[in-house]
Amino acid sequence: MGFFAWLDDTPLSHWVAETLWAYPTLETMHTVGMALLIGALGLIDLRVLGFKPELPLLETQRLLPLAWLGFTLNAFSGTLLFVSDAVMFSSSYTFRLKIALIILGGLNAALLGRSVFQAPLGGVPVRPSRGAKWIAGTSLVFWFGAVICGRLVAYTP
Amino acid sequence: MMDLFVWLEHTPIANTIRTVRWIYPGLETTHYIGLSLLVGGIMLIDLRVLGFARTLPLKSMIGLLPFVWVGFIINALTGGALFIYGATSFGVNHAFWLKMTFMVLAGLNALAFDLSVRRAKVDWVAADLPPPHVKTFATLSFVLWLCVVTTGRWMAYI
Repeated sequence: MGFFAWLDDTPLSHWVAETLWAYPTLETMHTVGMALLIGALGLIDLRVLGFKPELPLLETQRLLPLAWLGFTLNAFSGTLLFVSDAVMFSSSYTFRLKIALIILGGLNAALLGRSVFQAPLGGVPVRPSRGAKWIAGTSLVFWFGAVICGRLVAYTP
Repeated sequence: MMDLFVWLEHTPIANTIRTVRWIYPGLETTHYIGLSLLVGGIMLIDLRVLGFARTLPLKSMIGLLPFVWVGFIINALTGGALFIYGATSFGVNHAFWLKMTFMVLAGLNALAFDLSVRRAKVDWVAADLPPPHVKTFATLSFVLWLCVVTTGRWMAYI
């Protein structure tokens, strides 16, 4: 018996799959977390790309805790949803693509932090470099891609 | 009312959604993208009014409303199409009607917020001093949109 089949037979998996309110509650949490993560990180990305120039660039990092909150909610709820049907999710190509996009999005956010939010010495006003703009643009592609893949898991192999 | 739902379900739009394989998942996915813009944007504005991330100017955060409107329009269109497709089941779904009720309340609340911005005797936006009643609107907005998302997700289970 494979690992995912074993996971599917754990009490936790049965609890999520069979308790009346558990699955919809976790799904709701996953949706709210998505809105927080995409809202906060998406706004930072857009600001780096040059939208809303009246927002002070360095101060947009105040939104990062909100993005982290959304990420944490979704890592938690997503893991439990995965455990409830591990064989199906682990064999879905769309789900694997979603996870790949989330990893890329995470690495990308770390790069963005290094290239934008590490304030230069002497308080020189920061304008995002071309590289930073590329990072912000691909970040939007990765995270919206993850949303699209997540929704399509139910309809694709 | 049921006659209307049956009629809606047999309109060309509903038939197209039923017969063309990718339209339904496409509408759902677009509804989620719209949700991220709408709810993500509103939560940022509400939290900022309540004092989160104070170093970001209140005025420019309230200036995110066009993104929220884009999300709202995307979701009104995709949600409308999804409703037409499944009118006879959505039309009798309690979670759906709760969701619509919360949306109307959230809309009225947003209107009250907007009026407080426009009719303010003192420019509290520029001064970054939202009065207590505006903070109440922001809190209500946050809670009401959470309720909209929650009842929306529960539609499949009730």
